[in-house]
Amino acid sequence: MAIVAKPSKFAKYGRPTLAWVVGLLFFFPIFWMVVTSFKTDADAVKPEHLIWFTPTLENYLNMTENYDYWRFAGNSVITAVFATVFTLFVGIPCAYAMAFNPSRATKDVLMWMLSTKMLPAAAVLYPMTFITKSAGLFDTHFLIIMVLSLINMPIVIWMLFTYFKEIPKDIIEAGQMDGVSTWGEIKEILIPLAWGGIASTALLCFIFCWNEAYWTVRLTTTDAATLSKLIEGNRAPEGLFFGRLSAVSAAAVGPIVVLGWFCQKQLVQGLTFGAVK
Amino acid sequence: MSDRKLPRLLQSPAVILLLIWMLIPLGMTLYFSFIRYVLNNLRRPEWTTPSLSNWRGFGNYEFVLNSKDFLFAIQNSLLIVCSILILTVVLGVLIAVLINKTFPGQGIVRVLLISPFFVMPAVNAVLWINMILDPVLGLQGIAVGSINDMLDTLRNAPLVGWFFSLWPELEPISFRATQTSAYAVIIMVTWQWTPFAVLIFMTSLQSEDQQQKEAAVLDGASIWSQFRFLTLPHLARPIAIVVMIQAIFHLSLYAEIEIVSRGNGNKNLPYLIGEFANNNIGAASATGIFAVILANIVAFFLLRMIGRTLME
Repeated sequence: MAIVAKPSKFAKYGRPTLAWVVGLLFFFPIFWMVVTSFKTDADAVKPEHLIWFTPTLENYLNMTENYDYWRFAGNSVITAVFATVFTLFVGIPCAYAMAFNPSRATKDVLMWMLSTKMLPAAAVLYPMTFITKSAGLFDTHFLIIMVLSLINMPIVIWMLFTYFKEIPKDIIEAGQMDGVSTWGEIKEILIPLAWGGIASTALLCFIFCWNEAYWTVRLTTTDAATLSKLIEGNRAPEGLFFGRLSAVSAAAVGPIVVLGWFCQKQLVQGLTFGAVK
Repeated sequence: MSDRKLPRLLQSPAVILLLIWMLIPLGMTLYFSFIRYVLNNLRRPEWTTPSLSNWRGFGNYEFVLNSKDFLFAIQNSLLIVCSILILTVVLGVLIAVLINKTFPGQGIVRVLLISPFFVMPAVNAVLWINMILDPVLGLQGIAVGSINDMLDTLRNAPLVGWFFSLWPELEPISFRATQTSAYAVIIMVTWQWTPFAVLIFMTSLQSEDQQQKEAAVLDGASIWSQFRFLTLPHLARPIAIVVMIQAIFHLSLYAEIEIVSRGNGNKNLPYLIGEFANNNIGAASATGIFAVILANIVAFFLLRMIGRTLME
């Protein structure tokens, strides 16, 4: 009797085939959106052109005309980039202090920060509208940047904290001995050492900002409206504009999906707060 | 500067910002939930400005608890959240076990699988409700239409025609009605979050004790009992975490409901708050406090679990 069982037929052919089928099924809606984006609006709803059609770029070329796409995309880029930068700017010193000079309260502070992430946004919908409208901040880039930054700050600080914890304390302390200032320490020692961790944290933060769809919809009208708002505003084209809507949707999610491929690992960390290893 | 003061100083911007972000709006919600506060009321204009003299005690809470909308929204929230949880966990475990062994193209399959998670919620909803689920022009409508056409042809065929004339015409499902649009939301969110569950379960499976597994194989344990007595217990903790994190996220599900069901009666708590907030701020705030309580019940257990691993 063989001790090591021979791989069954299923293990050899069935499992890979099934895995591929599942993968393709999950990807299919995205694939279909991209296919539809190359059809004219008329072709997109005709069963006879379901698979065979003449591909056209017109939906992409007319994105500005049809939807003012680049204005919304510009807002998305501006708000997501500045929110990420600001979050890191506040988050790095905070995580640095927590990782290298922890006090007894550090754990509680971290847990409290995470708990703010768990508050349902809708609960404070009216106060937020009220405050921002009376402060004249409603529908401004500044407001959206701050809100995006605050909702992602707990995750960012938490992720940075876990990366910084891995750095040997001696290296930082050696810097302190040499009389380097705190800012110097962060800039010259910490950031170069934890560069990979910081970069992937930033990437994940950027993705979350880009995809955010509550405050960006409720706290904007036109000036600071992001792509979420644009798509939400064109929710029901009743089949008239499937082609152009697919194009604008594909343009809105394409870059982010590709970025996402590069930070799968960080996603697990960032979204489970390190509880799954 | 002394060593002890500095860390507190470096933490303070983040702490202060988050404190403001949490306390001020939440404090206002709490305050508004105890007063009469509406945006438009011609007969009682004094109610249109927030003031302590409009104190209502628990009146808003009573009003909300007695409104049909609230009960329906709670039921609907639970239906949506629980269905998504069951589907994503079951699918997630199955798919994670399926693709955990190396096979040709494993990396590509992983990339294909994880992609839906990065699609922005608004696009997810617009894509599914129009291009895929639309009863006439979407893939669903086209599929049902072509099956019906085929049946029609077969009905007119000689010899077998009588048999197919016994078959009914297929009816496409409209996913824009109250109940069916809840199903549409469940489908699209399950599509988006199953990859998340898969990713977490796969991460966890990689730390599974391989020696134990080999020992089980040598003892002649069947694949089923390996799964049941080794893999599943190993996944218990990640499953709990996936359930809690998703519960918190999906209790505040908004974009999908807004896009799929505007005005058709399919609402969850955040959507109901949005509706109340058009006029009755008191009721919106009371509903908001209920939402906070609901989320906190889940968050309490989640935070305890995270806390245990935090300082390891």
